[in-house]
Amino acid sequence: MSTNCGNPITETDAMMPRRCKFDRSKMCIKCKENRGNIVVRHAVYCKVCFVLMLNQKFKRSLEPTINPVPDGPRKKSLSPLGNLVIAFSGGLGSTVLLDLVHRGYISSRKPRQDGDISTSRKDPKNEMVWKEVRVCYVEVCGAFPGMRDRTDDVRRVVESYDGFEFVPMRVEDAFDERWWESVGGRPVEGQLGVDVMNEDLILSPSSNPTSPLSTLHIYLSSLPAPTAIPSTLQTLTRLLLLHTSRSTNSSHLVLGTCLTSLSISLISLVAQGGGFNIKEEVQEEWCLGKVVVKEDKGKEGRTVRIVRPLKDIGMKECEMYAWWSDLEVVGQETWPGAPQGIGGITKDFIIGLEKDYPSTVSTIARTCGKLAPKDVPAGICILCNRPSQGQVKAWKDRISIRSLSSSPLPSTSPAQPSLAPYLCYMCHTTLTSKSSKKPNSAVSTEKGDGVESKVEVPVPQWVGARITAMGREVMKDELKEFLLVDEDD
Amino acid sequence: MSEISLKVEFGGGLELLFSNQKSHQLSLPTRVASDDSTSPFGKEQETKALDITYLIHWLRDHRLKERVELFMENDTVRPGILVLVNDTDWELEGEGQYEIKDGDEIVFISTLHGG
Repeated sequence: MSTNCGNPITETDAMMPRRCKFDRSKMCIKCKENRGNIVVRHAVYCKVCFVLMLNQKFKRSLEPTINPVPDGPRKKSLSPLGNLVIAFSGGLGSTVLLDLVHRGYISSRKPRQDGDISTSRKDPKNEMVWKEVRVCYVEVCGAFPGMRDRTDDVRRVVESYDGFEFVPMRVEDAFDERWWESVGGRPVEGQLGVDVMNEDLILSPSSNPTSPLSTLHIYLSSLPAPTAIPSTLQTLTRLLLLHTSRSTNSSHLVLGTCLTSLSISLISLVAQGGGFNIKEEVQEEWCLGKVVVKEDKGKEGRTVRIVRPLKDIGMKECEMYAWWSDLEVVGQETWPGAPQGIGGITKDFIIGLEKDYPSTVSTIARTCGKLAPKDVPAGICILCNRPSQGQVKAWKDRISIRSLSSSPLPSTSPAQPSLAPYLCYMCHTTLTSKSSKKPNSAVSTEKGDGVESKVEVPVPQWVGARITAMGREVMKDELKEFLLVDEDD
Repeated sequence: MSEISLKVEFGGGLELLFSNQKSHQLSLPTRVASDDSTSPFGKEQETKALDITYLIHWLRDHRLKERVELFMENDTVRPGILVLVNDTDWELEGEGQYEIKDGDEIVFISTLHGG
């Protein structure tokens, strides 16, 4: 029973009967022969029909995204432009995803015969859709001293399937120039640092070169609020996966985000100021350094499409599939501080909601899927590489109290290069928004004279590379009238 | 007092709260205290048939080793824990009110191990 506005202690009819967990009978609604084994959003399925239904949902979600331009409801052939990367975290969703991809597209098919997948328009049902399939795992234990390294457990699970190439990475690779060069990035001349105590995020050459792991620790400890740590790790992981996908000529990156985790991440994203990217949280086209436009779709090697094929499958369905298929779920350790962050609180709320009102969770995802920002993107964020609305700081200045001190905020002189203009609202907030409860423990915030001290934090490799490239472009623009024009142009 | 024999299994990392033991073979009385108290009770106390709600309380009091908040919430299992009765979703069997029969197999699976 649940309460219906009135006080259930004094008014007996204030309690309304809880809706039955399943409609009609306990028989399977598909085959109508077997007794049901599972209730999925009020519908009853037997074990056999449940597995078939889950496979159908998975394929219905994935296959329309495989061709560069969707064929519409009547698909003719599956011809992706590149290879496939499966992002594997060891958690429930990605474990189910790995199994479904293997059953649907690898174990039941033979290797692709044609040499050039881009020119082939055939989709023989017995041949693999993607020529090469890689499974990428990003180990985050380096971020938290004492956390267990699960790479070997994950490797064992991945290697229990044939047809996958295992690609292990570590989250600190984001600060490692060797990794950056291995994925085809141009070497960055010297490491760049950003002053996180100044909201303009002033850039300067980093004076103390450190190991990638130490750099990661400096970066995380400089973040101003607990929520910023999980959100930063997610951004670093996402970019590591994207750059790896690009360097392996992969046109698709699939994630094991199920319906429940998608609803959690959508609400959490909006709460953290990422509402402009709500569309990208469901499905995303990524191209290095630019906003993807229609013309980019269908051109080989230009974009990576991020797909969440489990976005219509709830956490309960994933768990039942894993249990009945006897899948080993390595699991993930809870990140220190994550339960108290926005993501953790949202997770508790959505999981509780799913228990009593299972249909509501899919409503969240469907409703968010209909939202779109009013403005066109002004560019892409240099840090998270998602479309950005631009003029973030000016907008923040208009809508919020920026300082409790009576003196105006120090402004950046035009001579000082700043990271802030190139960040989206969420990344700027993640780097600068201080917790109201406690001061940043990692850095001293104020000097005796009340002026905030400078804290220099190294930036990820792709940020440094982009800043360097932009510097070259600016220099080229300034010098172009003095340059001789090549006669071939 | 007659007893019912049943098998309890934990999955999805939930076994870590129960001495890292996945399978437990139990014998519990057919009649139990209706307030789900698992300590011995007198003749005057109201009783009910052994059900899953009582089993959850019994597991908390006699098998759980740590962090009760990860297993129980508001007299039932925490949201995110699935319960199977003889390989069938407990939502089809009346959830906590399902009366346990001799030889039943009850599985508790946590969905909260990431994704």
